[in-house]
Amino acid sequence: MQTINVKVNGTTYQESVPIRMLLVDFIREVVGLTGTHVSCTYEGVCGACTIHLNGEAVKSCMLLAVQADGHEITTVEGLANDKELSPLQKAFNEQHGLQCGFCTAGVLMNMTEFLAKNPNPSDDEIRHGLIGNLCRCTGYVHIVNAVRAAAKSIAN
Amino acid sequence: MYPAHIESYYRPTTVAEALAAITRQPEGDSMFLAGGQSLMQAIKSRMVRPTSIVDLQSVAELRGIDQANGLRIGAMTRYVEIAEYEQFPAAYAALRDAAERVGDRQVRNRGTIGGSVCWNYVASCLPSVVLALNGTMSLASADGSIRDVKAKDFIIAPLETARREDEILLCVSWPKPPPKTGSAYKKWGLVTDALPVVGMCVSISLDDLGKCRTAQVAVAGLADGAQIADAGGAALIGSAGDEASISAAMNDVADSVETHSDHWADASYREQLIKRLGVEVTLRAFARARR
Ligand SMILES: Cc1cc2nc3c(=O)[nH]c(=O)nc-3n(C[C@H](O)[C@H](O)[C@H](O)COP(=O)(O)OP(=O)(O)OC[C@H]3O[C@@H](n4cnc5c(N)ncnc54)[C@H](O)[C@@H]3O)c2cc1C
Ligand code: FES
Ligand code: FES
Repeated sequence: MQTINVKVNGTTYQESVPIRMLLVDFIREVVGLTGTHVSCTYEGVCGACTIHLNGEAVKSCMLLAVQADGHEITTVEGLANDKELSPLQKAFNEQHGLQCGFCTAGVLMNMTEFLAKNPNPSDDEIRHGLIGNLCRCTGYVHIVNAVRAAAKSIAN
Repeated sequence: MYPAHIESYYRPTTVAEALAAITRQPEGDSMFLAGGQSLMQAIKSRMVRPTSIVDLQSVAELRGIDQANGLRIGAMTRYVEIAEYEQFPAAYAALRDAAERVGDRQVRNRGTIGGSVCWNYVASCLPSVVLALNGTMSLASADGSIRDVKAKDFIIAPLETARREDEILLCVSWPKPPPKTGSAYKKWGLVTDALPVVGMCVSISLDDLGKCRTAQVAVAGLADGAQIADAGGAALIGSAGDEASISAAMNDVADSVETHSDHWADASYREQLIKRLGVEVTLRAFARARR
């Protein structure tokens, strides 16, 4: 066991965890935030577990919780400001960017960082940015529409 | 897929501390962790079972791209940093071609050049690039010594390199680029940016008349991993960069390496990929060398 201090969505958690614990399980089981999903049995290929580690999109099943010691994490629960949805979350709602929603948390986390780096992306750039997130429902068309709409609304 | 029990976790802040930590355990029990984009998979599938992890995330001297004296890329420099670095000379531009197409954004935010070449996965991008560009790997050990190993001696076979388990890779480096030199990399995988079924990296130096003076060709995705194709390099010498001579050289490459069949592609398809991608990247390397 090792004691770690991790700030999740602004709150610091000091917890003792087994070294082999994956960060995604720390977030879901220890912190109790279940918006971050596991959909490929931790194989690192689906992107549903994507979170921000110090502001960057990473797959949380590819890290040990102890690696996050001393760092800041944002999960999908941390995107809204109070009850006010982020522009990307609003766009997903308005553009029907999700169906079952299983992939959505990971897509939102990845695309939030993507838009911060690429405020005016082409559709090709959006699609290229989405490679790490598998969606079994939407066929991606509405996801791309939502990301494009969010870029416009952030610019205005 | 879940890690087995791990006894200890260290996060050193210097190379010396990292080497002390790795030698504290019996050989093989302790492993360096860089971006984790290969090692975590191996730990979860229990292909490897380290009892101790030495996490390199806080070793600042292993990070960054520096051109003060040639080109030096710290082992812990991530794909995203290489992909976003705009000052590569034409000679080393293939590094960026490869880094910006590894996996996906999340993988590029974590994975490092050092991890990629030390893991030397059978189907991977950077090992072929360091081969074609003739990079030098600097390895440090706990007794304070540092040895430099050329890529062709470092990359041995899939999952096998010249690095000893108690050595740390400090950086990959290159001399100041010779004039009129260009390089390029491109791969083909089953889906966009996937692991290379075949990847091709070519480096070209031109003489004053614009003819190829030296060339090096490396192929990624072979059954034996990334390999230099000497036949290709030799056949390109004297070429003026026209498609006919490049095509002929890439036919030589396809003839000289052994391609294999698997569930991704059969051997003859791989040969076609070598030829098609080879012509495309060689034309790009020529164009970059002329600039
Ligand atoms: C979804 C996905 C897609 C991918 N797609 C591609 C792709 O298209 N092309 C491609 O080439 N790769 C791909 N990869 C693999 C990826 O490139 C890995 O990041 C890389 O192979 C390992 O780098 P790392 O920093 O993550 O190293 P780690 O996984 O942390 O380490 C790998 C090995 O290197 C050792 N090591 C690391 N750094 C050092 C050092 N400084 N000194 C000594 N030993 C060290 C470790 O002990 C370990 O044995 C993909 C991976 C995933 C999960
Ligand atoms: S659960 Fe992490 S990538 Fe699928
Ligand atoms: S909305 Fe169902 S997987 Fe994407």
